[in-house]
Amino acid sequence: MNESSLREVKKRTYMSYHQDGLVDIFVGIYVLLFALGILLMTLTDFSTWFVIPAIFPAIMVPIWVQAKKQITMPRIGFVKFGSRGQTKLMAIFIGLMVAGLGVFMVFAFASSTQPWASMVRELLISNGMIIIGIGAATISGLFAYTMGLNRLYAYGLSTLALLGIGHFITIPFGYLLLIIGLVIVINGFVLLMRFIRRYPLSQGDKALVEKPF
Amino acid sequence: MIMTQLYVVESADFLFLQHQLQLTPGNLSSHLSKLEEAGYVEIVKEFIERKPHTALKLTQRGRSAFKGYQQNLKQVFTDLPE
Repeated sequence: MNESSLREVKKRTYMSYHQDGLVDIFVGIYVLLFALGILLMTLTDFSTWFVIPAIFPAIMVPIWVQAKKQITMPRIGFVKFGSRGQTKLMAIFIGLMVAGLGVFMVFAFASSTQPWASMVRELLISNGMIIIGIGAATISGLFAYTMGLNRLYAYGLSTLALLGIGHFITIPFGYLLLIIGLVIVINGFVLLMRFIRRYPLSQGDKALVEKPF
Repeated sequence: MIMTQLYVVESADFLFLQHQLQLTPGNLSSHLSKLEEAGYVEIVKEFIERKPHTALKLTQRGRSAFKGYQQNLKQVFTDLPE
């Protein structure tokens, strides 16, 4: 039993706790809300629609906790992972915030009147979809690596592929996001159904009541 | 396997362990009581929403014992002639 076998056991434990598809459903809904925000913005010319995806994380966390409590825990039980995994996730979140700040600074620079700014602006506008695709693939790759969920790699790569295709055949960005979100949500529900069928509701630790330690 | 599973997490409940290890409740509880007697596993029995719930975690002694076992095993493989 060496370190790599232990890492494998930990990874499998983590994976089994997230086989319920809830991650996929919530990520998919988030992408769908973004798509909805973008589509409503282009249709109604009213930028406040963007508030919808912006407030989603705030309402997502309590719903997520409840879903885990009501669906996952009664079926496969509860496990508390050590602080190391949470530190890794926190490092990714901080990294994302720093990257977000970097992106904001690039945009701020691109909107300035300096001579290089127009070139950067041109580059951002003409390759926007590919840049977003690479960003999405990197972020999902990071989460896939940390959480040990290989399907997140697939989501990232298919997002990159779809946005790449969208770049060349000019499909509106909102519709592409809608497709990506739908695929992720549907996959999440398929996983959830499979999970519910595989693990029927448990009645607590029955055996322990009948035969205590 | 029980020790390995509990070593990689902070704590887990009976149901989770049962699913992970594919053991029957009776089998798992008899193994757990032996580990508890040895002082390797801490068992907390409680009721959550009127259902019995058993939380399990490795004690400090259990962690050290597992680490020792790991090192011994490593040593055995190192000492094996090629």
